[in-house]
Amino acid sequence: MSRARLALVLAVPVILGLPAVASAAGPLDQPGYAKAVTCAACHGASGNSRSEAVPILAGLPPAYFKKAIEDYATGKRPSAEMEPFAKQVKLLGVDEVAAFFAAQRREPTPVRPERGAVERGRAAAAQCASCHGPEGQGDAAKLVPALAGQPAAYIRNQLLLFKADKRSPGDEPLTKMKAILKPIPDATLADVAAYYSSLR
Amino acid sequence: MTMEGKRGTLRGCPSQRMTRRQFLRASGTGVGVLAVAGLEGCASSSGEINPKTGRRVVVVGGGWGGATAARYVRAADPSIEVVMLEPNKTFVSCPFSNLVLSGVRGLGSLSFGYGGLRDSGVKVRHAAATAIEPDTKRVRIGDGYLVYDRVIVAPGVDFLVEQVEGLAAAQDTVLHAWKAGPQTAALARQLQAMPDGGAFVLTVPPVAYRCPPGPYERICQVAWYLKTNKPKSKLIVLDANQNIVSKAALFRAAWQAYPNIDYRASNKVVKVDPGAREVTTDFGDKVKYDVINLIPPQRAGAIVVQADLVGADKRWCEVDHVTYESVKHRGAHVIGDSTTGLPVPKSGTMANAMGKICANAVVSLLNGREVPPVPPVNTCYSWVSDREVIAVVNAYKIENGKVVQVEQKLTPGQSTVYAQHAEGWAKSIWADVLGDGGAA
Repeated sequence: MSRARLALVLAVPVILGLPAVASAAGPLDQPGYAKAVTCAACHGASGNSRSEAVPILAGLPPAYFKKAIEDYATGKRPSAEMEPFAKQVKLLGVDEVAAFFAAQRREPTPVRPERGAVERGRAAAAQCASCHGPEGQGDAAKLVPALAGQPAAYIRNQLLLFKADKRSPGDEPLTKMKAILKPIPDATLADVAAYYSSLR
Repeated sequence: MTMEGKRGTLRGCPSQRMTRRQFLRASGTGVGVLAVAGLEGCASSSGEINPKTGRRVVVVGGGWGGATAARYVRAADPSIEVVMLEPNKTFVSCPFSNLVLSGVRGLGSLSFGYGGLRDSGVKVRHAAATAIEPDTKRVRIGDGYLVYDRVIVAPGVDFLVEQVEGLAAAQDTVLHAWKAGPQTAALARQLQAMPDGGAFVLTVPPVAYRCPPGPYERICQVAWYLKTNKPKSKLIVLDANQNIVSKAALFRAAWQAYPNIDYRASNKVVKVDPGAREVTTDFGDKVKYDVINLIPPQRAGAIVVQADLVGADKRWCEVDHVTYESVKHRGAHVIGDSTTGLPVPKSGTMANAMGKICANAVVSLLNGREVPPVPPVNTCYSWVSDREVIAVVNAYKIENGKVVQVEQKLTPGQSTVYAQHAEGWAKSIWADVLGDGGAA
């Protein structure tokens, strides 16, 4: 092994923030683990919600997670259930909690939407693809979230909030989406949610 | 003799009177086999049970706090042996159990096994801890004992039956249904059998008690059931407290839909007479009932009183707000409904949060590491009809080593969206407490 290569191998654990002695490694070595542990009560183990209306946090890009926490904390994204916890997360250290969830492997929702709704939603979702991607994979660089595999009821509830301009009112990047959603019937939005939820 | 044969010998359980030494001699084996066989299956042993080979945490109680703590110790450090003592073989969720009274849910949908804990590497022993001895670090189970490095005690609540005259002798018919299980089903049957035009009397104990909004959610469920099925009946509430203890404005708004509720604050029940079907309040008022649901005053589970982990009030346990270690005995941690001194409700979410935070603290302490100071959380959903829910949320921080509330927030009203969130919460937290294999 060349000296440069050896140096690289030795440097990897440092870069990744891993402890030098592998045997001492455990979940508590990640600072975010202990701080994110209480979120699992609603959001599931490692942020992989298994229910219909609570979003999956595993694999969320840190910037998106932090914007969500900020919007919940300021009330821009009104939620009696999340506002206090967003403030708690900020006091605890949002960067560590965001990094923890970003590092978790995302497991798509096990709740299977009805096939008819998925098929109807596929057609209606065509205009979403330009931002959210053909597979609903999102675009982390532009804070556009991945929709694939999120629970359908969560996506539907968010679409209804966007349509009524009750989520993040005044956010410039969202105005185009809200305009697109405005004329779409609620039932169709539910179909779109079912379609994205079904993607893997 | 094969290894399987040896395991079989132990699984079959030696005589309860046989000492461990006698048993080892009889089976002609050593400690290793005991370690292989583990603890399951034996109802009782004498002397030291399953001698410790490494670091061991014993968890007393397999409810919301205890089961969570047991799983999370294993998650944070699988080299630590975790033995959990819980007499019941089935976990029945108190949250959502008021829906069994209205018939909206069946008790089976709230009942789970402990398989998920075993899958997590927790040694689940279905036995009752009979004593905790912090000085020698032993937990007694009948004639035998387990040695621990640290013990996490989560015994829930016990009832102060003696504070209501006549209750001790009438516990088979005067039901609390405040620990989900057979009493929940029995109270539902009493409600169903009540003639239309009857009076259902529900009594609320003085604070502090398990689940502050629980009695008021139950009032909604019983009132909804009566309105739907026995419209000439009434629900009389005798509340020992001066007002609704939790989510008062939201419950009052919900009760607009139930004119059959007769709510009487500051009415503490001190006597029950099942023969006359009558309760008496501290003012001497007598109230007749057809069905009674008497929720007695409460204190921490008996075992922490025995172990001298309770404070001067002899009711609840004071703990460190970061590690949940008892202020009275080092090495013993107390979580869940049994604790006092933190500005938090006695709720399932809170017990679950304490279980995780305490587990991480215990693992840190056993590894000689700094304990991460992490505050708990509370989310509490209440069903105000068969389909609508309200919620309260509490956020906290740690300040100078103490848990301090950052904010409490209530939902602006009742809705079916919160019902979806409640269902999601239940599904997630049951898995968080019991592991994914926990579902029956």
